[in-house]
Amino acid sequence: MNRSIGSLIAVAVAALAWSVGAAAQQPIVVQWQTANLTESQYEPVWKQTIAEFEAANPGIKVEPVLVARKDHWTKFVAASQARKAPCIVSVDVTTAAYNGYLMPLDKYWNAEPAAFRSAWSDAMLSSAKWKGQLYGLPIWGGTYAEIYNRDLVVKAGLDPNKPPQTFDEYVAWGKKLTGNDRWATAVLGGKTDTTTRVLLMWIWANGGEAFNADMTEATFAKNPRSLEAIKFYLGLADKSAIAAPAPTTTNYLEQTNLYAQGKIATMRNAYWAIAKVVGDNPAMAGKSFVAPPPANVPNAPTLSTVTASSISASCQHPDAAWKFIKFDADRKWSIARAKVANWMPLRNDLADDPEIKADPLLGQFVRIGRNARSYPLPHPAWAEIAANDIVDAVQKALLAPDKTDEIFRDLDARLTKKLRDI
Amino acid sequence: MRRRSPGRAAALWTIALAAAAVMVFPFYWMLNTSLKPASEIFASPPTFVSAQWSLDAYRTIFESRAIGRYFVNSLIVAIGSTALSVVLASLAAYGLTRFFPRGATPFVMFLLFTKMLPETLLIIPYFRLMSDVGLLNTHLALILAYSSFALPFSVWMLIGFFRSIPRDIDEAAMIDGASYLQAFWRVVLPLARPGLVAVALFTFLIAWNSYVWALVLTTDSSMYVLSVGIANMVGEYRVQWNELMAAAVIAAVPVMVLYSLLERHLVNAITAGAVKG
Amino acid sequence: MNARLRRKAGLAFVAPTALFLAAVIVFPLAHAFYTSLHRVRGLNATFIGFGNYARLADDATFWHSLGVSFAFTASAVALHLGIGLALALVVNELRAARTALRIVFLTPWMVAPAVGATIWLWLLEPQFGVVNYLLRAAGAIAAPVAWLGEPGTALASVVAVDVWRGVPFVMLLMLAGLQTIPIEQYEAASIDGAGAWTRFRFVTWPNLRYLVVVATTLDVINTIRHYDIIGVMTGGGPAGATEVLPVLIYNTAFRGNRLGEAAAIGVALLGIVLVLAVVYVRTARLDDGTRR
Repeated sequence: MNRSIGSLIAVAVAALAWSVGAAAQQPIVVQWQTANLTESQYEPVWKQTIAEFEAANPGIKVEPVLVARKDHWTKFVAASQARKAPCIVSVDVTTAAYNGYLMPLDKYWNAEPAAFRSAWSDAMLSSAKWKGQLYGLPIWGGTYAEIYNRDLVVKAGLDPNKPPQTFDEYVAWGKKLTGNDRWATAVLGGKTDTTTRVLLMWIWANGGEAFNADMTEATFAKNPRSLEAIKFYLGLADKSAIAAPAPTTTNYLEQTNLYAQGKIATMRNAYWAIAKVVGDNPAMAGKSFVAPPPANVPNAPTLSTVTASSISASCQHPDAAWKFIKFDADRKWSIARAKVANWMPLRNDLADDPEIKADPLLGQFVRIGRNARSYPLPHPAWAEIAANDIVDAVQKALLAPDKTDEIFRDLDARLTKKLRDI
Repeated sequence: MRRRSPGRAAALWTIALAAAAVMVFPFYWMLNTSLKPASEIFASPPTFVSAQWSLDAYRTIFESRAIGRYFVNSLIVAIGSTALSVVLASLAAYGLTRFFPRGATPFVMFLLFTKMLPETLLIIPYFRLMSDVGLLNTHLALILAYSSFALPFSVWMLIGFFRSIPRDIDEAAMIDGASYLQAFWRVVLPLARPGLVAVALFTFLIAWNSYVWALVLTTDSSMYVLSVGIANMVGEYRVQWNELMAAAVIAAVPVMVLYSLLERHLVNAITAGAVKG
Repeated sequence: MNARLRRKAGLAFVAPTALFLAAVIVFPLAHAFYTSLHRVRGLNATFIGFGNYARLADDATFWHSLGVSFAFTASAVALHLGIGLALALVVNELRAARTALRIVFLTPWMVAPAVGATIWLWLLEPQFGVVNYLLRAAGAIAAPVAWLGEPGTALASVVAVDVWRGVPFVMLLMLAGLQTIPIEQYEAASIDGAGAWTRFRFVTWPNLRYLVVVATTLDVINTIRHYDIIGVMTGGGPAGATEVLPVLIYNTAFRGNRLGEAAAIGVALLGIVLVLAVVYVRTARLDDGTRR
């Protein structure tokens, strides 16, 4: 009797030990979802990142979740609502944090050695904070500048070493670059937030502001310098007639197509656009040069998008997730991303890296990016404001230019209401 | 039979060919683009035929993207949905026409009503449902979703069909000792074959082309279906249009083949279902 | 006894489908309605009763979107029917090529709407698109037209693409109906000396009328909830000119992150379509006296 109980207990203990052992050997699986995993030029890099991370961390497996850019947020929201979101995500930090979809990272961040943390400036970090807590680690970004087609510039009798500095000089250049079924530039009015990005830059370049400091009021029309800049920029399509037609359907893809096919001589875009242009039309390799956007005030900032890696609120293995985020933020991958996908590294310790210096265009973008404001703007309603409301106003103003004042006054009122409704 | 005048024939043919041209042009353009090299895609003026047509894009998508795998997943899901839909719709339609003849129409109306909510609003509750029962990343979740979309119209079609099969046939079978199910299975169902084919085609089409559900319910890329694979080819920073179109052509082929072979039955079933109500 | 057994057998046949649909359709429907009664900000939901509906009633965007939905649906359905019927008549007469034509005319139906919309987006592109190229080559237009860039032409363009998508189904339905019309009726009319139009009015149309009602209502239901074509081609622009309700719902839910409001719009849409469905039932009962 005793012996049978004893052997029963022994079996039970052995089974328990075995299952615990087995469980301990089960790798932790963390899912990683960002819209960029489907970018073909980035694919070899992220595959390598995962491979090396898994080799260095045998108990962790990283499972990439591939999703088209336009559906990335939808998929993330659906999963978050059921509390089954992927552990590692790159999303609009403010909106996601406000909606409770992300986990604060402060405890992980503060536990890191100072040597690691010093690679991110305070300004950079603040772009990933919400209500004082850190919700993402900025990984890469894109600085916007004015990109010119050297051949077309030279053909128009202009000097590529003396790009336009002010709005008026820009129009003067534009007039020479337009003609023969070709235009100087394109006004972005398509239904994506790139329209808003470019509009903001022109506003800032004129010394204007689109919002007040704490994002509780919109000042597109209220601030006279903003309104002036808006009219100037949208007027490129109609009054000055130096922009390609059909601006209300011109979004990022259209714009880069036009530039790649030589239909426009310049575009306001980020470094990644050059890789896309060369991919679309290999003859364009080496033909572009870059200059800071023309501005009417000194020290006007340009715009830099910031993509951060975050941990979702429903993540079951946040420690493992943080390990991967840290790994991915390393110098090595930042440089790799810059080289294949032209995504700017956001660490401040790479400017003197020989690989970065070897690419003169990248160097220029880095320099221009030193005076940049981060995007998206920090408000939970930003995604909608940028892709819906502001775009609608731009489209309306492009279709009825004499109503621009009224349209942007309406926009101010509507946005102010939305900004306060949180 | 009155003879058609040559003028009339010419007019009819002109209309038919013009309409056919408009209907088919996007396919032709899809095919054309899929065969072109990347550099020629945005050539101005656009080229309708190219000396540089090649199957490179097709080769690339099979080699560097899991198009073959996605195709198989789509096939499994579509066939599964078709099977489930045919079974459920035929059972329900038979039951309604034979046992609840007056309840048939209200039931179908209710089914159609349930179809009306835009997909956007169904995504989140559906994800939660599938997640709670542990069916995420399975073929079954998609099969269940697509069958549920196809059922309303399928039941309606089959009700019409079963109504046109006289009850005497069932009764004759049951007099010979068959149960309700056996009468249904062995005697009535074979007579409704065109209707079943129609339901199968219709469901296959829904399952094959649907995107949003697969987008939300699968995260493991080995489970992705063709429509998701195609959508993922539209990158923000680069779109390989020829490869994208090649994938779209591959996605269209099975449906076209299936329809070409079986579309006769589709017409018959719709006639029976609609005209006889 | 026999009646009870029959009823049990009947339920056994119908139950699997009914239960399946209850789980898979009714639950999300109930969830949508439940959500519409809340103010939802991510994972935080506050009950506000009919607050979302009250807000909608005051919201100009909603009413504008409703208007666009009606305009889009009415024109698309009318064209589906007109062109579908016309093509069915043509195909019916061209007996020799009927099968080939039927297959050709079904091709738009075989491509996922989103893929078809992407191709049309491309064909209508102002600078590089084939449509402008062909029109300019034919001398029909002088300068490239921004089809999707102006409100008027944008709505017309998405309607046109939806016609391309939707005509096959209606044509098929009409063709099926035409083929069930007894030849004797046409022959009798011919003997009486009736011309083509009279034959259509007194033989074809009465036989097709019921089918037309069926096709219209199904088509309206499908078109009014359709998202893909407009979502892909214009996203609701320019300046909201093509923002139909399904697009507004999507934008509100996933751009605006206001899930409660989006659900309310959806339920409102459901209510409207329900009214149309009731109309269908009434008309169906009125038309077909020979129901068995």
